[in-house]
Amino acid sequence: MTDPSNAPTTDDAPAADIILSGRGIRRAFPVGERSLEILHGVDLELGRGQRISLMGASGAGKTTLLNILGLLDRPTEGEVWLDGLSAWTLTTPERAQLRNTSIGFVFQFYHLLAELNALENALLPAMIALPHVAYRHKREEYEGKAVAMLERFGLGDRLKHRPGQLSGGEQQRVAIARALLLDPPLIIADEPTGNLDSSTGERVLELLFDEQETRNTALLLVTHDRRLAQRCERMVHMEDGLIQADSTLTIPT
Amino acid sequence: MYRWFLSLRYLRARRTNWIGAAGITVAVAALILILSIMSGFLEESRNHLRGNLGDLIIMPNQDSPLSGNNTVLPKTDEAAMMEIVRANPHVSGASLQMAWYGMLVPDSKSALLKHPVFGDLSLIHLVGIDVPDEYGASDLKANMQASDDSGTFKVTPVADLQRPFDPPPFYYSDGAPKAGIVLGAQLAAAWNLHPGDEVELFSLGVDPITRSVEDQGCNRTFVVTGTFRSGENEMDMERVYVDRRTLADMLGRTTAWSQILVKLHDYEANKVAAVASLRSSLAEGGFVHRPSGDDASDYYRTEVRTWEDLRGNLLGAIENEKSLMGIMLSLVMVVAGFTVFAILSMMVSEKRRDIGILTALGAHPSGVMSLFLMIGCWQAFLGASLGAVLGVLGALNIDAIETKLSELFGIQIFDRSIYLFDHIPSVIEVTGVAMIVLGAVTCTLVFAAVPAWRAARLNPIDALRFE
Ligand SMILES: Nc1ncnc2c1ncn2[C@@H]1O[C@H](COP(=O)(O)OP(=O)(O)OP(=O)(O)O)[C@@H](O)[C@H]1O
Ligand SMILES: [Mg+2]
Repeated sequence: MTDPSNAPTTDDAPAADIILSGRGIRRAFPVGERSLEILHGVDLELGRGQRISLMGASGAGKTTLLNILGLLDRPTEGEVWLDGLSAWTLTTPERAQLRNTSIGFVFQFYHLLAELNALENALLPAMIALPHVAYRHKREEYEGKAVAMLERFGLGDRLKHRPGQLSGGEQQRVAIARALLLDPPLIIADEPTGNLDSSTGERVLELLFDEQETRNTALLLVTHDRRLAQRCERMVHMEDGLIQADSTLTIPT
Repeated sequence: MYRWFLSLRYLRARRTNWIGAAGITVAVAALILILSIMSGFLEESRNHLRGNLGDLIIMPNQDSPLSGNNTVLPKTDEAAMMEIVRANPHVSGASLQMAWYGMLVPDSKSALLKHPVFGDLSLIHLVGIDVPDEYGASDLKANMQASDDSGTFKVTPVADLQRPFDPPPFYYSDGAPKAGIVLGAQLAAAWNLHPGDEVELFSLGVDPITRSVEDQGCNRTFVVTGTFRSGENEMDMERVYVDRRTLADMLGRTTAWSQILVKLHDYEANKVAAVASLRSSLAEGGFVHRPSGDDASDYYRTEVRTWEDLRGNLLGAIENEKSLMGIMLSLVMVVAGFTVFAILSMMVSEKRRDIGILTALGAHPSGVMSLFLMIGCWQAFLGASLGAVLGVLGALNIDAIETKLSELFGIQIFDRSIYLFDHIPSVIEVTGVAMIVLGAVTCTLVFAAVPAWRAARLNPIDALRFE
């Protein structure tokens, strides 16, 4: 799928065990007449199955970086490689498809669709992935999968509830089920517990960690909670648009 | 798959969507209704005018050219002319008519006659006909047996259709036996005339010096034998049929005809050929001017004409009105389109966050665009199909609807005395309905495309930033 004119970049492709790689990422936003650079050249690599936490003061540029690594935003400079593909050499539909199958997003504000019930929200990635007829064929398979997951998350009797009828913790669990539905090799979670009280947040995160471990999915987690960050095998610290520290930990089990 | 699914969900979630669809419904229904009525007017007008006029009309050249090469006046021997006309292979029937203006006074009001002022007596159109011929050239026979569907003007058929001007069997005359007349149903109703009633007719002519219309002093008493209803208001109000020779006798004229009505076997297919062959054979017989010089064709035109030549102005006006109405009502369509535009624009800004979520989950911009286009599509589809059904139903039942509305508001919406017909005509043109529905859907989609395009261009990170 790589653009033949960029053939040399194939040589730059990261090793096969690297799921996500950002290289020399800069991002500047136009502010009035000038442009304000938020990221000043960030390099970050993420191995398959790796759980990594990203910390930093508010305004350090964590969300900006996540949007770029999640292929939602184009870096002003630098490259993003996902699953062996250089994201910005792809066409828009190809990139959308890559996002659909390879990344699961969990947001701070859950971001469920208000018009759909819990089950339908969890099924959304499959609905986006498949055209009408194909979806109809695989519908039972996906539904079984989503129902099983939601039941495991303790939402068995909440399948038909709309997001408005669910608590924050429940909504976030639906969002996690949605992120995991297509078994993506990477989960990007931006402060998933930021809007929950600490005990609920901890339970939700526990659930996410469990799933991540059993599926051997890579997880990039932004959090302000040092205790949660310490449960990740790698801790990255950001300050003013640059990575200041990158430490590998041994996880206490 | 999500586009179908979500477009239906979004459609159901917002009540404003139904307003968009309702706007399209109203526009489509109104367009279909009005255009059906206009088409109905046109067709009904054509049918009536044609039936009452015959297919072709041959008139003696009135302003005979005495200048140039044409110094010889054409002959007007009607028997020979009729022979030529009947010999034409396209002709199925021909009828001599003599037309004159006059006034009608019921016998009981004959006192009015003595008065020099005619008062409120209205002008009538006296038409002298030869009976079996006229039946073959116009719709008179059917009109004299017209069964009334509205009940407003009842037709009283003559006792014997073959001899319509014979007095009714129960009629008893104290003086000399009177000749019969057949009246328009509305005229009979206006004077409360029934078969057996005597009326006095007198002719009017134009004074050659003062140019004023006045009594020519020819009058005669007739007996009403029956009525007819043509559906053409003017005819039913003003026309009186008399035997042609009786009329000529009353007027004391030797020339006893003013036009020949011709019916063709197949008018639409042969009108051009029939007119041309009649012109040339009549010219050969010396009944119309031979073409001479460059402008010769003008003389032809005045002598053998189709009914469309005579009523072309009226038909053209209705046709014009129809296209004008179509254009005006298309503006309603544009307004409906704007409503859809506004509703979808609102929805796009309301659903910014959803658009961001869908993008993050792997929807691409064209998918987002088609999602919103589809919502517009649903509105267009629902609105247009409902509008088509309502419009067609309305056009089919327009008379009943008009009666109900008139009763409800206590005013007469369709004033039957103004129009040619005593019911509201409507003709549903399938292609017209299809065009309107197609136009409505296209128009809506064009308007929906703008907000859908904006939705596709939304930057997902802006859309996702805030709760
Ligand atoms: N679209 C934009 N235009 C202009 N400035 C922006 C834009 N997006 C982000 N910024 C700026 O970039 C900086 C970093 O923002 P970012 O959201 O990445 O911080 P963060 O580390 O995620 O903070 P927090 O912990 O509060 O979420 C902020 O100063 C913000 O104002
Ligand atoms: Mg942030």
